[in-house]
Amino acid sequence: MVQYSPRLGDAFAAVADPTRRGILERLGRRDASITDLATTFDMTLTGMKKHVRILEDAGLVVTEKLGRVRTCTLGPRRLDDLAAWIAKYQEMQNARFNRLADFLERTKGESS
Amino acid sequence: MTTTVTTPTDREIRIQRIFDAPRDRVWRAFTDPALVAQWWGRGNTLVIERMDVKRGGHWRFVEHAPDGVHGFEGRFREVTPPERLAQTFEWDGMPGYVAAETVTFEDLGDGRTRVTTTTLFHTSEERDGMLSAGMEGGVNESYAALDRLLAGLA
Repeated sequence: MVQYSPRLGDAFAAVADPTRRGILERLGRRDASITDLATTFDMTLTGMKKHVRILEDAGLVVTEKLGRVRTCTLGPRRLDDLAAWIAKYQEMQNARFNRLADFLERTKGESS
Repeated sequence: MTTTVTTPTDREIRIQRIFDAPRDRVWRAFTDPALVAQWWGRGNTLVIERMDVKRGGHWRFVEHAPDGVHGFEGRFREVTPPERLAQTFEWDGMPGYVAAETVTFEDLGDGRTRVTTTTLFHTSEERDGMLSAGMEGGVNESYAALDRLLAGLA
């Protein structure tokens, strides 16, 4: 539904997703393995790996493989309030536009 | 319908979407409070406390969501029907942060309209700094400075 330009391969795009914001919040409390995160967010390992890779590419998360376990910790690039706000704004705006599309469809042919 | 999101700068976000409705209807949906109330709240009850659609006019919307009550407000900076709307945007949940939104409405000629929202985010300290830097007396001067700044960044 939402298409990102290649330029969005950064922290904004990474935090535009509610699950990824949840992952950052979770890692802010304590490091976790991919398996832990998958369990917490009720996701497949493959799905969680994808989210973690996006966060890792954005510098928000660092992962390290110890034996058979890959541990995730918060990366050097911390998410500041401004970035969080922008992500939240984007999410709200997207929801608004969905509602507006529905509204315009519903009122098609009406004088207003 | 597809929403396209791009980031022209690291402080700016541009959201584009094509609506299957003529431009005049889309314009009214953005500027008539009775119509705004029907979609802006994302499905939550929206109380439009103020909406004075003219340059300098104040708007304040309160959204009653399951997770609480959220207030949003700002002032209109430009109202050019049916092409362009510019306003400041603040959310009670993020005091001290102000966004400048510019919405353009493009008639695609086939009964559809492309809406582009470009939003520049900054902290109020930064904004006040910009304003005082460009101020030579009066609010209009300040707005003119902000306009120039925004034009340069758009």
